[in-house]
Amino acid sequence: MIDLDPGAPLDIHRATVLPEWIDWNGHMNVGYYVVAFDKATDTLCNQFGVGWEYTREKIGMTFVLEAHVTYDREVKEGDPLRITTQILDHDAKRIHYIHEMHHATEGYLAATNELMLMNIDYATRRSAPWPDWAMTRIERAAAAHAKLPRPHQAGRIIGIKRK
Amino acid sequence: MSVTLTYEMPELVTRAPLDIHRSTVLPEWVDWNGHMNVAFYVAAFDQASGTFMRNMGLGRNYVNNKLGMTFVLETHVTYDREMKGGAPMRFTTQLLDRDAKRVHMFHEMYHSEEGYLAATNETIVMNIDYTTRRSAPWPAQAAERLEAIWATHKELAKPAKSGRMMGLKKK
Repeated sequence: MIDLDPGAPLDIHRATVLPEWIDWNGHMNVGYYVVAFDKATDTLCNQFGVGWEYTREKIGMTFVLEAHVTYDREVKEGDPLRITTQILDHDAKRIHYIHEMHHATEGYLAATNELMLMNIDYATRRSAPWPDWAMTRIERAAAAHAKLPRPHQAGRIIGIKRK
Repeated sequence: MSVTLTYEMPELVTRAPLDIHRSTVLPEWVDWNGHMNVAFYVAAFDQASGTFMRNMGLGRNYVNNKLGMTFVLETHVTYDREMKGGAPMRFTTQLLDRDAKRVHMFHEMYHSEEGYLAATNETIVMNIDYTTRRSAPWPAQAAERLEAIWATHKELAKPAKSGRMMGLKKK
């Protein structure tokens, strides 16, 4: 298992906007923002030892229960992305967290993605408590992230705001 | 000045909810967990948004004729049940609110044969001026169609899964 990154927020995931992620509006399509964010979730799960090997070894899986995306600014083909991740809350079988996607060289915020992720038992495909080794790591990361201010994009309710 | 839509308009559907979008889970949408990946639910819902926009008269012709575009501002998804490769999908769409340049809508995705709810998507879409890539009021013809759609959709009950705030509910 890899060493747990002590950073708060987690700031290790990098990506590039692929040509096939572009739609007829000439920018990254809304679905592919979530593809990019889901890969950042893989990076997070890897930190806790519940990434690809966890499923490959038929131990468990992680399922997303709910997702909220704010699309803040366009990104184009070839743009470099930097995605940071902040844990907001957790319990025995879930993690509540938010990703922020930045244009890696221009620095602007492109989007955020708040998520609820649940641990799943491989055999039953039902929710189950995090394995002990994962829970230890989740608690360490959550403790480090607890000092961060809560992003204003977290906990949003969708609606048309009238003046 | 309002943009004039010069292409032929599709027949307006005012029945509420809108229940015309159908799709199939493509093999490339399936991930290592053996089900449709979270992102492709959003891609599938985005196509359902496209169907709603086309009903307003703002389909692909709107972009191809360089008249305007529509951008998603924000989206909220609940993942209610897994969908496997090849599963047939049926979408219903309810308009929850609208203003001069935005629509707030709610999609439900069903497995069309088994009938179960697979996911919901609440989303806000904004009209964009083609040249400036900034927000702009709906073209008059689209605004007129939107009001006709709103007249029937506003009578529907608000969906239970709309207006959600995410969080761990502690017992």
